[in-house]
Amino acid sequence: MSASLAPECNEVKERYDTCFLKWYSEKYLRSNGKTDDNECANLFKDYQKCLKVVLKEKGIDKLIDEAREDTKENDALYIKRK
Amino acid sequence: MKVFSNSVTFNYSWEEVSIANWQKYGPWNDKSAHVIAVDTLNRHVDPETGVLRTERLITCKQSAPEWLKSLMGCTETSQVFETSYVNPAERTVTMVSQNVTWSNLVNVQETVVYKPLNAGQTQFVQDARITALCGGWQRIKNSIEDTLVTRFRENAAKGKEGFECVLAMSRRAFAEEREKAAAMMA
Repeated sequence: MSASLAPECNEVKERYDTCFLKWYSEKYLRSNGKTDDNECANLFKDYQKCLKVVLKEKGIDKLIDEAREDTKENDALYIKRK
Repeated sequence: MKVFSNSVTFNYSWEEVSIANWQKYGPWNDKSAHVIAVDTLNRHVDPETGVLRTERLITCKQSAPEWLKSLMGCTETSQVFETSYVNPAERTVTMVSQNVTWSNLVNVQETVVYKPLNAGQTQFVQDARITALCGGWQRIKNSIEDTLVTRFRENAAKGKEGFECVLAMSRRAFAEEREKAAAMMA
């Protein structure tokens, strides 16, 4: 797996990434998306708690918000709710 | 504005490609040294459509030409915000990216789609639009756009080579897992 921007988050990120990949290959793809995505939720929460501090420190959080705002129309295009 | 387009066929199923895609910038890829970090920011499955939506922040470190560095204030680390959509019913992965760094100087919008050609082959289609934003100076704008198109071309060649390695390693790892599981059953 790849590293985190914040070295102090690497360990928890690795645990989350491993959990996600297992869920993605064994459950998500096999069920055609008809699965809940909760089994890695606690690891994701820990990872985000660590990462968010660093994003804020570096001032990247605001740049991300801008980029998200710029690209939000893609959701309608690619999620394709009826 | 300049456009860079690229298309590659991988001799792997869409399922294999879509799994390996999450490991693209990991240790199995020795051609992606310019990507130093990949962080997931948000992820959820749309309950209505089953589409998996993921936001990632990709951190790159690549040397830039001296004249560009002086323009952009010397930093060599840059970041890209990527939103991806996995549609398991249609069997597509779509990734839309844009630059977070230097976004008041240049706008880079990239779209990548992975879709199956047949049971054993997957097509990768990449399309990047590069627009320099600084006012007036057409020559500088052209130079910035040309530099980035060249960068895309170089990274595309490395990207294919590196991803082929990841696909081969991923296939081998899954085969080993299956063998282990079979041995335990026996």
